[in-house]
Amino acid sequence: MNKNKEQLLNKRYKAEKRFRLYGQSAIFMALLFLTIFIFKIFSTGYSAFQKTWLIVPVTFDTELMMLEQNPSKEDLKDADYYDIALKSMADLDPNANEDQENELKRMVSYFFEREIKRELLNDPSLIGKTKDVYLTASDDLDQVFKGNYPRDLPEDQRRVTDYQLKIFDQLVELGKVESKFNLSFFTYPDSREAELAGIASSFMGSIFSILVCLMIAFPVAVLAAIYLEEFAPKNRFTDFIEVNINNLAAVPSIVFGLLGLGILLAVFQLPRSTPLVGGITLSLMTLPTIIIACRASLKAVPPSIREAALAMGASKMQTTMHHTVPLSMPGTLSGTIIGLAQALGETAPLILIGMVAFVNTIPGSPLDPAASLPVQIYIWAESAERGFVEKVSACIMVLLGFLIIMNLFAQIIRHKFEKKWS
Amino acid sequence: MKKNGVKMIKINSKNVDVFYGKKQALFNINLDIEENQVTALIGPSGCGKSTFLRCLNRMNDVIDICRVKGQIIINDFDINDKSCDVVRLREKIGMVFQKPNPFPKTIYENISYGPTIHGMAQSKNEMDEIVETSLKKAALWEEVKDRLHEPGTGLSGGQQQRLCIARAISVKPEVILMDEPCSALDPIATAQIEELIDELKKDHTIIIVTHSMAQAARVSQNTGFFHLGELIEHGSTDKIFKNPENKKTQDYITGRFG
Repeated sequence: MNKNKEQLLNKRYKAEKRFRLYGQSAIFMALLFLTIFIFKIFSTGYSAFQKTWLIVPVTFDTELMMLEQNPSKEDLKDADYYDIALKSMADLDPNANEDQENELKRMVSYFFEREIKRELLNDPSLIGKTKDVYLTASDDLDQVFKGNYPRDLPEDQRRVTDYQLKIFDQLVELGKVESKFNLSFFTYPDSREAELAGIASSFMGSIFSILVCLMIAFPVAVLAAIYLEEFAPKNRFTDFIEVNINNLAAVPSIVFGLLGLGILLAVFQLPRSTPLVGGITLSLMTLPTIIIACRASLKAVPPSIREAALAMGASKMQTTMHHTVPLSMPGTLSGTIIGLAQALGETAPLILIGMVAFVNTIPGSPLDPAASLPVQIYIWAESAERGFVEKVSACIMVLLGFLIIMNLFAQIIRHKFEKKWS
Repeated sequence: MKKNGVKMIKINSKNVDVFYGKKQALFNINLDIEENQVTALIGPSGCGKSTFLRCLNRMNDVIDICRVKGQIIINDFDINDKSCDVVRLREKIGMVFQKPNPFPKTIYENISYGPTIHGMAQSKNEMDEIVETSLKKAALWEEVKDRLHEPGTGLSGGQQQRLCIARAISVKPEVILMDEPCSALDPIATAQIEELIDELKKDHTIIIVTHSMAQAARVSQNTGFFHLGELIEHGSTDKIFKNPENKKTQDYITGRFG
């Protein structure tokens, strides 16, 4: 009998040990996946924050620029920079023939003319002189310099020619190639050329969309939640509404995209590809999330607080506005932020309302065409150029950073404003 | 309180029935409450004494399925009448609950809330005065005067309950309803509250629901005994405890059931 009891006890201890082990291994697995995921993104993405520049001597030759003597600032703006730009690139190899000159020109981005112009406008005294100018390297050379380019492929299978590589290697040896922080990744809009593509347009697009979404979804959702929770009679009709709100939360996001396409664009003729339409579409998606969070936190306010206020002679409205709603705000706000974070990462509905269009301007208002960060990831992931691979990861990093900051904010709000009641 | 030997009746209830949905919780209650006296309502759990108490300031309105029939007349006015404004009624009839439920705000704000919503103070000074007198009446002033702007929820249980009493008297109600105000408190805090109740009856009519017969005997002048939704017996506390007419009352008082 006694022995039997001991066996039972041992069995119980073992079962508990096993259970702990399962739990620990589950957590280990989760952490492992997360680490692999983050490692992969960082290892491919970090190089996108560096950009390769070629340092090329440029002679600001007034004749080639078609400038009079003593040109004014206006003249400098209207001057022709293409020829001096071409000439500076061709001068890298004095013996180059016409084809090779063309190849030399393609070693830098097509912004080279603009970059040279900017240099002169910054310092007009350079006229007639020669100066080393930083020119953005083409995306392929950028990858070569970062060591991501398969140089040993046969020449006809690469975009970089042997001649370009030879000149590039010479420049590297002379210290005329430099890697600097890639500011243009944050300040440039999207581009077909990987070396010039940035996230400014999609970042602003995301921010505008989220703002529109917040301004529509938050007041509507909070009012709906307060009414349903505090004022509406509990009957079949309100039950029906509640079920439908929960259903709405489970609707796949692409359906909301179709709604935006069919109603906002087709019926109301709102401008296509704009954060306004994107934000309205996302707000439909966020609405049930906020309603559910707000109702849950209203429910969590102890009834004794409501009774206390009512017994003091506060009206229903006063009880709700003075006591219940302020107490429910931490939960509501963190629910809202989580809903917005969801909306921020949403791709499908935005693709349907046209925010997938190629936009190479930075939007100044929600009425300008824009992309959004997740859609930008989608667009770049589809592109064939090698230079976009690291951009995809870098963009994911920015998006994740954005999301982490939002979630952190939600946590802080929850902790800071949570009040304890007896 | 007697005026010229006549009892002054503050609240007069006639044929009060209460239903929760189809279930009847109170049957034909006829109970008069004397002015400036403490009336205790006693009885076993679920007998309807709290339900009756909540009829008096229409807190039962909050419960969707609850219906109240009959007349409850306060100051010659039937509070169940359609023309009765609950906000005005609850200003006149304060309530203290079983569990201390201060607002999660500062001590000052807890007291000033009622006077603010009823527009009872014209200036900051007036409000300060109301807060001070209310806290003094609730015998809490000395303990909290240096921390009026700290959260009310940081006080001890007994202090919180006195804060709730101070909050209730801040709007100068004529009647104070107390629903087992000491059930969550220790004996010392209970004694303080009981002392307070005795003090408060000078200015207010008090109705207290209690589980403790000793407490009813200590604080009240009148007692009503409820059982299964009916008012079995009521009268002066002395008589109910020493010489009850009904057998059930006697059994309950002597601890044979309940």
